[in-house]
Amino acid sequence: MRTLLRDTPPGRVASRAPAGDAPAPTMSPAPSPPDGESRPSPALRGDVVVQLSGITKSFGTREVLHGVDLTVHRGEHVVIFGPSGSGKSTLLRTINLLEVPDAGSVRILDVEYGPGSASDRRRGGPVELRRLVGMVFQQFNLFPHLTALDNIGLPLRAAMHLGRSEAEERAAAALKRVGLLRWAGHYPAQLSGGQQQRVAIARALSLDPKIMLFDEPTSALDPELVGEVLAVMRSVAQSGMTMVVVTHELNFAREIGDFNVFMDEGLIAESGPRGFLDRCTNPRTRQFIAAVL
Amino acid sequence: MPVAAYQWSLIWQNKELLGKGLLVALECAGPALVIAILIGLLLALARMARPPLTWAATVYINIFRGVPALVSVIWVYFGWSLLFGINFTVIQAAVIALVLLYSSFLAEIFRSALLAVPRGQREAGLALGMHPLRVFAQVVIPQATRIALPNVGSMLIGMLKDTSTFSVIGLAELTYTVQNIESVTFQPFVLFTALAGVYVAAAFVIDFVFRTIEKSLTTPPRGLVSGALTRRRRRRLESLVERLETAVPVRS
Repeated sequence: MRTLLRDTPPGRVASRAPAGDAPAPTMSPAPSPPDGESRPSPALRGDVVVQLSGITKSFGTREVLHGVDLTVHRGEHVVIFGPSGSGKSTLLRTINLLEVPDAGSVRILDVEYGPGSASDRRRGGPVELRRLVGMVFQQFNLFPHLTALDNIGLPLRAAMHLGRSEAEERAAAALKRVGLLRWAGHYPAQLSGGQQQRVAIARALSLDPKIMLFDEPTSALDPELVGEVLAVMRSVAQSGMTMVVVTHELNFAREIGDFNVFMDEGLIAESGPRGFLDRCTNPRTRQFIAAVL
Repeated sequence: MPVAAYQWSLIWQNKELLGKGLLVALECAGPALVIAILIGLLLALARMARPPLTWAATVYINIFRGVPALVSVIWVYFGWSLLFGINFTVIQAAVIALVLLYSSFLAEIFRSALLAVPRGQREAGLALGMHPLRVFAQVVIPQATRIALPNVGSMLIGMLKDTSTFSVIGLAELTYTVQNIESVTFQPFVLFTALAGVYVAAAFVIDFVFRTIEKSLTTPPRGLVSGALTRRRRRRLESLVERLETAVPVRS
């Protein structure tokens, strides 16, 4: 489905679609791309970083994912949106095996981590996977007993086995990158929600992940703090990082989304390249976009 | 007997014996607390694990939460001697009896503390590529400790009081000492009031110690002790920040 419609090269950020110009959904047929945005450009497409195929997942007797496929290429920014309970967070969490799928294949950089593979049964398999994949949570999940600096330093020491001073140097550099170096000695409780989320992003980035997952990173924030977090995410996107973002910030999605996925009831209902939000045809998608924007 | 006839001076006269008795009680309760914390943590984990382990831990916890200290120490001191031919000294028997009882209480305290740490904390640690055991040791345990600490203090006070029943095996702790003095002076009211006073004073001291630890574990740490402990670290942090702030920006 998606191999036919490829578009914007990695790292490019749309200059169009400023926030607030959300068009009301119209019943006109899907327009042809105005500026060639959805023209396939296979030469610019990166290697496959994440390949999910046939992912199913049940909680108890309720199946929340009914066999989902998703491919993410290097440098690509994939945006997943959809109503609550549609399985988008669960799908995102299967990428770093916080949720182990019941069936299907999880391939990260050509290594298989799915339930059927031998590598999954090998102890330490998920740990290796998670060193390639950074994740940012809705509730930030900073460690409340550690300072901002130590929040970043602990995984550097525990997962990357850096020495104490090296870990602190790197943690400080990561904080500087998100503009929070002055807050290095503060504890999460002393930071605003937006600052906490920026520390959380810095923490994930400091481990040099090959892909970053964002699970509704601005949904728990006061509206006035959303902007600072989106600004950090924008700079991460501009650095060429491969990203999968679950979000309700559709204006942001329109801005960074190289590939957009609309999920509904445990399946990908519709997906498309840049400009998809204005051109989608599925009535359920249009209804959702109209309600959110 | 008129109040004037009470020989309150007996307390002061026997201060050394009372002090020694308290020391013996603490010698039992202190080590017992350390061992009971370790076993209690294992029991809590077992109870949160899978069925065969869960059942075993549940049975253990419910038996020993229900057994009185008096019975426990008699089992250990006389019972093990009769059944297995293992002869403990009175101190050893007292420590083991306390561990058996209090590890079950502590197991429940730890279980509730571990469950009180938000799930997202563990997930964040795992998502950062940390090994599950390191996540447990460096993310979950420090937070659970803060939650469990006030109750652990109460357990130590409880242990100290439970040593009073160990006079039954002839352990020369505080209550045993007081009973001995009473048997020659016939001043039960004075002596047992003094006994209560010593236990209460010990409870105040234990409470103070645990609150000091608690304060140092709050974020940011409060209190003089933690202030002194973290001062060097804070200075290091400040110099690190200072150096990077003035350095050439890494990124535009």
